[in-house]
Amino acid sequence: MTDLPVLLVLLPLVGAVVAALAPARRTVAITVAVAQLGLAVTAAVTVLRDGPVDTAPGGWDPPLGIALRLDGLAAGVGLLVGVVVLAVFVHAAITPSAAGSRSYWSLALVTVAGLQAVLVAADLFTVYVALELMTVGAVALVALGGQKALAPALRYLLVAVLGSFAFLVAVALVYAQTGVLTLDIAAADLPQGAALATTLALVTVGLGIKTALFPLHAWLPGAHAAAPTAVSPLLSALVVKGAFVVLLRVWAALGGDAGLATVVGVLATAAVVWGGVAALRQTHLKRLVAYSTVAQVGYFFLLVPLATAGLAAGASAAEVEVARLAWQGAILMLLSHGLAKAAMFLTAGTLSAAVGSGEVDGLRGIAAKAPTTVLTFAVAGVCLAGLPPSLAFVGKWQLMDAALTTGAWWVVVTLLVGGLLTAAATARVVMVTMRPADEEDEVASEPAASAGRTATSAPAASATATATGPAASEVVVSEPSTTEPAPGAGRAVGAWETWPAIVLTIVAVATGVGSAWLAELVTVGSVVAP
Amino acid sequence: MSWETVLDVLLATSVLGVAVATLFAPRRTSSVMLFLVLGLLLVLVWTRLGAPDVALAEAAIASGVTGALLVSALTRRSAAGSAETPRGGWRSAAAELAVAGTGGVLLGGVLVGAARDGLRPDRLGDLALDVDGVVDQPVTTVLLDLRALDTLLEVAVLAAAVLAALAVHREGESSIGIRSDTRPVLVSFVRLTTPVVLLLTGWFLVAGSSRPGGAFQAGAVLAGAALLLLLTGRKDLVPTGRWLRPAVVLGLAVFLAAAVLTRLVEGGWLDLPASWGVAVVLVVETALVVSIAAGLTVLVALSRPRYVDATTSTETLGGAAPSDPPRRQTEELT
Amino acid sequence: MTGPELFLALGAVVTLLGAVRLLTTPDSMRRVVALNVTGAGTLLILVSLSATGPGEPDPVLQALALTGIVITISVTGLALVLVRRIEDGDDDD
Repeated sequence: MTDLPVLLVLLPLVGAVVAALAPARRTVAITVAVAQLGLAVTAAVTVLRDGPVDTAPGGWDPPLGIALRLDGLAAGVGLLVGVVVLAVFVHAAITPSAAGSRSYWSLALVTVAGLQAVLVAADLFTVYVALELMTVGAVALVALGGQKALAPALRYLLVAVLGSFAFLVAVALVYAQTGVLTLDIAAADLPQGAALATTLALVTVGLGIKTALFPLHAWLPGAHAAAPTAVSPLLSALVVKGAFVVLLRVWAALGGDAGLATVVGVLATAAVVWGGVAALRQTHLKRLVAYSTVAQVGYFFLLVPLATAGLAAGASAAEVEVARLAWQGAILMLLSHGLAKAAMFLTAGTLSAAVGSGEVDGLRGIAAKAPTTVLTFAVAGVCLAGLPPSLAFVGKWQLMDAALTTGAWWVVVTLLVGGLLTAAATARVVMVTMRPADEEDEVASEPAASAGRTATSAPAASATATATGPAASEVVVSEPSTTEPAPGAGRAVGAWETWPAIVLTIVAVATGVGSAWLAELVTVGSVVAP
Repeated sequence: MSWETVLDVLLATSVLGVAVATLFAPRRTSSVMLFLVLGLLLVLVWTRLGAPDVALAEAAIASGVTGALLVSALTRRSAAGSAETPRGGWRSAAAELAVAGTGGVLLGGVLVGAARDGLRPDRLGDLALDVDGVVDQPVTTVLLDLRALDTLLEVAVLAAAVLAALAVHREGESSIGIRSDTRPVLVSFVRLTTPVVLLLTGWFLVAGSSRPGGAFQAGAVLAGAALLLLLTGRKDLVPTGRWLRPAVVLGLAVFLAAAVLTRLVEGGWLDLPASWGVAVVLVVETALVVSIAAGLTVLVALSRPRYVDATTSTETLGGAAPSDPPRRQTEELT
Repeated sequence: MTGPELFLALGAVVTLLGAVRLLTTPDSMRRVVALNVTGAGTLLILVSLSATGPGEPDPVLQALALTGIVITISVTGLALVLVRRIEDGDDDD
């Protein structure tokens, strides 16, 4: 099974090449996504059973050759990637307008390849090239959103590449000091001092830009909101995570720095509060969802100050235990965020397209016409807010546990406040959708009521997968609303259109119910492994 | 004080001066021109530091094609319209210089300290020099033998950027106009230099196994020839249309095929055997040359401004002088 | 300070100059130029490091520099196409 790391990277690339040339793009892409998910599952099982998979392509052993390492973190996030990509691809196949362009498929596969390479690379320069591949793919996908998406895409590109350059300087610094590029070997050789601190600072800043950590987040809301519906989930749920994983790996390998960790902790708290408040104030639906990503990124970074004591060499067993709890908590939240945010963006895109307007206020009354979609949006929001029984709740619980053990009360407060803000933002949107439309619209929506739609008050599409079959068609006869300044009339919500998002929320909740294996998986092969 | 030190100090000062001038020049055109000068200076620096491959790549790609990209992206309108003085005047520029300068000196100190600390006999570079790879040239060995996966990913980056550029471009107009320039001197120049350039491409490609050169430099030089041909109206000699996308992804595709092949035959991904590894390297490099040339040509062509009306503009960047008979045709690059 | 070390420090300064300028200048094309200057700075760092050792120049670092050059031009090309499309779009309005 030493082929797994390489296969995970090369398969999407092969798919991208074929999709760029062949006419049957969607089929190719979905086939590759299915295969990729299969590989991810195999990888997770292998890692759980046998431990991390180390391999060195090219036949040269590290440090001369490139080291690839499929550890628990890579396997866990790889699973997330597999599930989300498949769901998003299916959505884009069902709803062609969500993809934005026929070049979507090959560019998305390229981005996935970059993401996988980021996850399995244990060599610093390979990580750099992989980050660039991911960024170029992501920027290209944003740019598919039309004329209005070009400026955010350019901004994203310039800022993200700047972050990559910062990372590259850090790599050069490590090489200057140690003479090797393999992270683990270099970390053993890097003494405490200016070089180590500068490396960590550069890596944190460079990757902080890519993860949109406050205050380096300014590029994110514009880019994620302007991107096509089938692109925003990939960006928020996946690309942002790739950079975070690298940051975590480097911190874990180099042992972290207490001072810098404190700074990161402050910024993380600011991110949660700032992002949450900003999300509440947004009038544009997708920007609201994007700002909530900024807040959630803060959650992940809370791991850094909590775990730094345990990551340092010579940490006590208790400190390592705390670090492990924090690690598990943050990663579980990361995985849950990936699933829930993807579902949220997909449903947001569906709703916006159904009413023909991107504004939150334009969604008035849509709950009656597309109840399943609104419900999925609501459940996804619940998962994001970290309410039981979602996976995020489990993660949040563990983070709080770690925080209480070290006496970091501010983390607990931050987590609770963040959850409240996210819940409030979701509730605000859902309440708008349920607000009855104005009188003029009541008359217009009468014919819709008789169009044979089945009122699918699906009992928590979250609990049972057998909820509603194909009969749950929500046919919306969309009348151009006279009160809305909609640029164009909305369109019907397709019968199957919300199903990818529903599946994602189901997974987010199901893994919350049974998360022990996942928690175990993500620590395999890491510094904090038991 | 030896001649070498004087040269080094002179070079370093010039590079710093030109870099500052590039960044703070008042107009776009000045900035771009100064960037070209910076590129030339860097070629000297790379040669001085004993990096001929990098010097070639700098001349061909980082300065050459990048310069072409930047210059072609300038339009008459935007060049004039952006005659800006730095916002806030000299004070903010001085502040930026101070911040960057201080930070740079500090960072430089850390780097130099690390470099001095890190001197040891078994650095990666020394190991790489001793390695018995399939080709003799150490840099090519590193690129295609030791760290082939990195090179594969880098080729993917280029292909992705080109595909992205094509995708973004498609959303707008269906074709771009490359106004061809058929002045006799230019045409003769192109006619004379194209065979030479092709020879140079082949040389870089083949010689890359044993001396400085390689696929990237060859590809960039070939792109230059392709652009010259396109600009003088010889579209028939440049594969465009339905061969464009295949050409762009060819390098990546062949690289991937080589990875699968080596896995099946040798048991390791991109594991080059001693016997036929050289052949693999050459095949992959040839495909890379085609892809890189196609990709860079597309990027330069797509960043050119859209020529709306040939007759109204009397003097445009890259256009003919007004006294010439207006023999301009717009070529399509799909 | 030896020659390569001088260029190493120079590289750090140029990188930061480009980075600061990238963040502060409003004009998109000059930001692209600033990005390339930052890239040139990183190349200076990499190649000077390759020359600091006593023996032959370090081929690994030179290979990294080559890779960096190719990546930078890919990014520059994409960025300029975006700039072109943005500005052409603005001209239309």
